Amino acid sequence: MSSSKRSRIRHHRMVVFSLLSLLVLTLVLPLIPHAVAELGESTGRVANPGTELWRDVRQRDRSIVGATQVKGVDSGVLINVHGEDWRQFRMQQLIPYGAALMGIVLSVILLFYLVRGPLRMQGGASGKKIQRFNVFERTTHWFTVGIFWLLALTGLVLLYGRFVLIPLLGPDGFGLTASACKEAHNLFGPMFLVAILMLFVTFVKDNFYVRGDFTWLLKGGGLLGGGHVSAGRFNAGEKIWFWIAVSGGMVLCVTGLILDFAVLGQGREVMALSHVLHGIVALVVITVSFGHIYLGTAGVEGTLSSMTTGNVDEAWAKSHHDRWYAEVKAAAADADETEPGGVASPAGEG
Amino acid sequence: MARMKFLCDAERCIECNACVTACKNENDVPWGVNRRRVVTINDGSPGERSMSVACMHCSDAPCAAVCPVDCFYFTDDGVVLHDKDICIGCGYCFYACPFGAPQFPQDGVFGQRGKMDKCTFCAGGPEADNSPEERTRYGSNRLAEGKLPLCAEMCATRSLLAGDGDTVSDIFRERVTWRGSAGMGWGWGVAYGKSGLRKGKGVDGRATGGD
Repeated sequence: MSSSKRSRIRHHRMVVFSLLSLLVLTLVLPLIPHAVAELGESTGRVANPGTELWRDVRQRDRSIVGATQVKGVDSGVLINVHGEDWRQFRMQQLIPYGAALMGIVLSVILLFYLVRGPLRMQGGASGKKIQRFNVFERTTHWFTVGIFWLLALTGLVLLYGRFVLIPLLGPDGFGLTASACKEAHNLFGPMFLVAILMLFVTFVKDNFYVRGDFTWLLKGGGLLGGGHVSAGRFNAGEKIWFWIAVSGGMVLCVTGLILDFAVLGQGREVMALSHVLHGIVALVVITVSFGHIYLGTAGVEGTLSSMTTGNVDEAWAKSHHDRWYAEVKAAAADADETEPGGVASPAGEG
Repeated sequence: MARMKFLCDAERCIECNACVTACKNENDVPWGVNRRRVVTINDGSPGERSMSVACMHCSDAPCAAVCPVDCFYFTDDGVVLHDKDICIGCGYCFYACPFGAPQFPQDGVFGQRGKMDKCTFCAGGPEADNSPEERTRYGSNRLAEGKLPLCAEMCATRSLLAGDGDTVSDIFRERVTWRGSAGMGWGWGVAYGKSGLRKGKGVDGRATGGD
């Protein structure tokens, strides 16, 4: 009785144990290959280094540089990640925004001229002339003008010719034009450095900030009405233009030389960056020069002769540069008084 | 119509530079220019990989987009070519290209740049096929003779593939299928079907049974 009961319990235990063992084995056995694989991984097998390598190569934040037998600047760069940035900047930003900037400023100037007309001298021309720019100053100015517009026009042809001139000249005709423009731009470019340095040396002494410049700016130079504003030899607007031309010109020269002399070992990254700066600064300086040209010709009556013959009407000087006019008159009076010889002008003149 | 493509299998490239030499010789490439180059990444370290690079004949080619004189054109086979009669040698394509394909022969005074030169997929230029003019200016036109670019034809390990994109993809897909993926699909034994080389480290190579 008790022995048969005991054997029954043992039988039950065996069944339970077998079932449990089966269960455990079913769960564990399939894991063995995985365990082996895991161990294998840690000893001999490593993940394909290629996957990470290609992820690095394809990543767009830096260029991977490798070794190569081909000698040359950047030849070890497998993928130049900055090329696409430069392309987007040139095609999506520089070209459309540059055109918009120049177009808007030109339209505003034209509208201003039609509405306001040229600024007149107070009391009309007097007929008496005084010298504003000597020969050296005028030579410096026109030398800079010549080089600047040669470079500006050839540069604009390279920037916009594909859209504007190819339809007019055809691909071959424009190829020839653009080739001439590129050669002219590259050959005359370095001369712009000479022009900018000359411009700086010639005009810098009268272009520092003095009292009254800020007031002139606040009153908008009298451009928007409200009569003439007191100014020295150069007013604040002319001073700002001087510093834009000189600093912009220097940026254009430095970046231009980097682009022009491609044999100095600079890579594509430096050249693309130079091109970005060159393009932005060039378009800004060209745009600001529109304002300068307008005010020097049609915008202000009697101004142009200061850069052609060098003389301006006294009424012009009194209206636009009253303090300079006073200085010139005072200096002339001093010269008369201190003149030792007998050829002094008769007293009372001037 | 076929769409021509290059593909370099980095698991196979052994940096022998035969493609570079073949290209230079076949096309009489100007001085200072290599239309194709082999770049080795992690040179001398575990996981070193080499890859032969040239013009990839992009569909949306940056060189063509930025060219100020629009001198690039696409052949019916999708090959990106340029017209040296129109090219002005400004260098914009050189800045824009991700692969450094367009280059400038430095033959002028003060290192002045000439008209740019790039891989033509051995398809010559706009001149008449295999004319002497085309030969001097652009190199050989193997495509017109029904041949593929010499760099790929020369490749001893069949790493560099050139031809119709579909065919190239089929070949490469078959290779990858046989090699496996992730942790398995790399190494010499895998690439060349000899299991011996890496067996000691637990990676079994499998014969591809072909290319």
